[in-house]
Amino acid sequence: MISRTMGMAWAAPGAALAAALALSACSNGGGNASRDQIRAVGSSTVYPFTTAVTEQFARRQTQFKAPIVESTGTGAGMKLFCAGVGARFPDIENASRAIKKSEMDDCTKNGVRDIVEIQIGIDGIVMAESLRGEAMRLTPADVYRALAADPYGKPQTAKLWRDVNPALPAIPIVVYGPPPTSGTRDAFAELILQKGCDANPAMDALKKADAKRHTAICTKVREDGAYVESGENDNLIVQKLSANPDAVGVFGYSFLEENADRVRGIPMNGIVPTYETIADYSYPGSRPLYIYVKGQHLNVVPGLRELVAEYANDWGRGGYLARRGLIVAPADVSERNRQIALNFTPLDPATVK
Amino acid sequence: MTDTSLNDRATHQQTAPGGTLKMTARDVDVFYGSKQAIKNVSIDVTQENVTAFIGPSGCGKSTFLRTLNRMNDTVASARVTGDITLDGKDIYGADMDVVQLRARVGMVFQKPNPFPKSIYENVAYGPRIHGLASAKPDMDAIVEKSLRRAGLWEEVKDRLTDSGTALSGGQQQRLCIARAIAVDPEVILMDEPCSALDPIATAKIEELIHELRGRYAIVIVTHNMQQAARVSQKTAFFHLGTLVEYGDTSDIFTNPRQTRTKDYITGRYG
Amino acid sequence: MSTIAPVMQPTPKPQQARVPTDWTTTSMQGRIRRRYRAERRFRLLGAGAVLLSTAFLIFLLVSMLGQGLRGFTQTELRLPMDFPAARLALDQAALAGPNARAALAAVDLEAATAQAADRAYGAGAYRLLSDGAWLSVRSAIQADPHILTRRIDIWVPTSTAIDLAAKGDADADAEAGYRLLDARKAVRTSFSTAFLTGSDSTDPTLVGIWGALKGSLLTMFVTLVLAFPVGVLSALYLEEYAARNRWTDLIEVSINNLAAVPSIIFGLLGLAVFLNFLDFPRSAPIVGGLTLALMTMPVIVIAGRNAIKSVPPSIRDAALGIGASKVQVVFHHVLPLALPGILTGTIIGMARALGETAPLLMIGMRAFIASPPGGLADPATVLPVQIFLWSDEVSRGFVEKTSAAIIVLLVFLLAMNGIAIYLRNRFERRW
Repeated sequence: MISRTMGMAWAAPGAALAAALALSACSNGGGNASRDQIRAVGSSTVYPFTTAVTEQFARRQTQFKAPIVESTGTGAGMKLFCAGVGARFPDIENASRAIKKSEMDDCTKNGVRDIVEIQIGIDGIVMAESLRGEAMRLTPADVYRALAADPYGKPQTAKLWRDVNPALPAIPIVVYGPPPTSGTRDAFAELILQKGCDANPAMDALKKADAKRHTAICTKVREDGAYVESGENDNLIVQKLSANPDAVGVFGYSFLEENADRVRGIPMNGIVPTYETIADYSYPGSRPLYIYVKGQHLNVVPGLRELVAEYANDWGRGGYLARRGLIVAPADVSERNRQIALNFTPLDPATVK
Repeated sequence: MTDTSLNDRATHQQTAPGGTLKMTARDVDVFYGSKQAIKNVSIDVTQENVTAFIGPSGCGKSTFLRTLNRMNDTVASARVTGDITLDGKDIYGADMDVVQLRARVGMVFQKPNPFPKSIYENVAYGPRIHGLASAKPDMDAIVEKSLRRAGLWEEVKDRLTDSGTALSGGQQQRLCIARAIAVDPEVILMDEPCSALDPIATAKIEELIHELRGRYAIVIVTHNMQQAARVSQKTAFFHLGTLVEYGDTSDIFTNPRQTRTKDYITGRYG
Repeated sequence: MSTIAPVMQPTPKPQQARVPTDWTTTSMQGRIRRRYRAERRFRLLGAGAVLLSTAFLIFLLVSMLGQGLRGFTQTELRLPMDFPAARLALDQAALAGPNARAALAAVDLEAATAQAADRAYGAGAYRLLSDGAWLSVRSAIQADPHILTRRIDIWVPTSTAIDLAAKGDADADAEAGYRLLDARKAVRTSFSTAFLTGSDSTDPTLVGIWGALKGSLLTMFVTLVLAFPVGVLSALYLEEYAARNRWTDLIEVSINNLAAVPSIIFGLLGLAVFLNFLDFPRSAPIVGGLTLALMTMPVIVIAGRNAIKSVPPSIRDAALGIGASKVQVVFHHVLPLALPGILTGTIIGMARALGETAPLLMIGMRAFIASPPGGLADPATVLPVQIFLWSDEVSRGFVEKTSAAIIVLLVFLLAMNGIAIYLRNRFERRW
């Protein structure tokens, strides 16, 4: 009787551990075994579009397993993507900015060649305020002077928007925006902050003299509480704007569209963020959205070619991606990328900046 | 009882004055860490007699009793030196299985401690783990026999599945005695078995001891002198860890040889 | 025996006169009054604390139920499908054969559904339907291929805007559209099992919680199977067998500290050891279960040790006295009596593990997975992570689904605790 009890007590964890190891061995976790589920990682801005495409793909092509999409942020996703080739590594990277040279070098170093870069559409980084707030009109220079840690190399003293530009209302500077891990933040820094910084001719000269210092001055954001990092949760930013009519939020255009009954876009350089102004790049915060696909994975996981083709079919003006807030790229750009998607034309590393 | 055990007893028994020797102790010391609790005790336990250990509180009677079935092993700091034998075999020797020893030398404790199981299970547990019965009818027979010998059968035969802890104090103690009897011991050690019971229950237990005498060698520790006088034939008087006097009960109580014994008997100290 | 001499008594010593205490002075009375007041105050404080806790609980339940009950309902539109007129390249024979799936996939049911909507409710009416409405048509055909020869009404899910309008939460256009449809008795809002049986989706009208629920079940299963035996056996060994020396003291301190370590550290550990070093599949319940088991085990060890310590030594002595070996004493007597306490510790540990999000995010159980996991090594997600992901979605329809998912999580938690409490009561014994 005792040995039975003892046996039972030892058998349970022993069996469980053995089962675990067996499962892991015969699953697709290890080495170069092939996988039957496509894996995508990357930007939280592109995430809603990729998930919509994978869902349609799973419904229409029931012979393939539904792909898995993880929202890790563009930077972290690139690291996973460039870590190597094989079943252990993701097949697709969603990116809200173009791949950097350092990341491309990383990829080549780990054996990842044949990367296909496909632009799927355009997104707008909008600055928005509550409908109940005072109507503001901003320029990139205003935003830079309000949010930089050391504007033009001098200490940051502005507390009200009026301190930055006398035409603006005398309300405290409170901006909710993405954290440094987010691709949206990178794009915000590049499209708005740097533009505002380079409006000053002295900064232009500094760029040639000391590029590092130039980047630091132009993109470092103040940390004294005026800029509040709000994680990857853009719904939270919208809620905060509703609660505080003086605050300003930074997020993607799709959130603006969805919550038009609570917030409105702030005109930048006089241009109001709308579908049209973002699509034709007249709004300063427009940026292209990409997916990067590993050409080498075409024979690692089934369905990859069909999934990318599905993407190309659905990003048109009347497609359901547009209904979810994706702004369609200009016709020639769209067509060019459609060809790239169908032919899996690899990206030339030399063209990466 | 199997035939081999009978043979064992035959080869090792010695006839000594007062009866057949069952357990002997020679020059036993017990230490708890550096403190010595028992000093140089030598004593005989005979098959036919009930041996009583008496003495004031804290004099070491329970400690010495527990050396007889190696219950002191459970205390980490306890150390026992000297010779203690059962049927001539050293119980602290390397070849003595302590589990078997404790089945042969049973123990009944001061506070009744039946298992929180049914009455049947309480009695059947011992025989089950020692493999004394395999089939249910055999086990039923052992349970009934033990309960009868303990004088409890008539009171519980209709409610064997009731919990053992639902009985009265005296019944619980008799259940514990039945439990000890069920594994067919040769010696039964009783550590103040009646101190937690009322006088009627106490009387029943004392009557039981009379009935069990002879079939089992019984050693009883008691702080109640009158009880010792009633139940035992041999008495040992302990004082501050030493054995002061050991002899026939009638001698100890009427004509003690040591002054300390006489003082204790007459109530000069408690 | 009858010549025992009478007991002698010592002689009493002389004493001084005693001054009795006066119990009636004002200071004495004041002390009495203050004592009663303190008792009353304490009772009020205790009752107040209980009321406050109950109020928090009621507030949580009411707000969750208020927002979330709507998430279990779905708005559907009556869609008259005229199959013969639609001239689909599909016949019943093909559906009975081995290539049924391919046959269905070859037909453009989406277009057919959109056209049927336009025909019934006017041009552009396809926008009233959910993106996945055609799936309902497909399921209807699969269930009963005979409908291909008839005209029948199929109830299909509506778009998010109409769904929100039905619940009074949409903009003016959608509300107007909904009222029109309601007047024609073309819409109904009812309890949908689709939420409980479906998986994750980008469309709030089609989303379901089953994928995350199954992931949680699998992960909890792995956690329990690993943490419970290891925790209980460790507790038994440490209490019953291990010597009391500096090493065991060190182990005890370490286990106590482990129980207080923030859960994210276990996530990092899981990432480093299980995913990077041992190469287990990412996002799988087996890895999640292993990580959570590491986290839960110290809690079970601590609760187990306390429960084992509280088993009275008299039971152990009794068992030893009739010749039970150490192992028999532990497994036949100590463990059954310590089981209620051990189960309580297990309940606490498992409840904490069920709600853990941070460590599972680190090992990748945060992906969008449109189908439930098949086994322990398939990618999955768990309920709290699913709630977290849905709370970040753009579409407004996800707000009620998030609250509904919270309700499911609470029900799961209650069920788990209920089972454990039932088991604990069954093992409860008085000694």
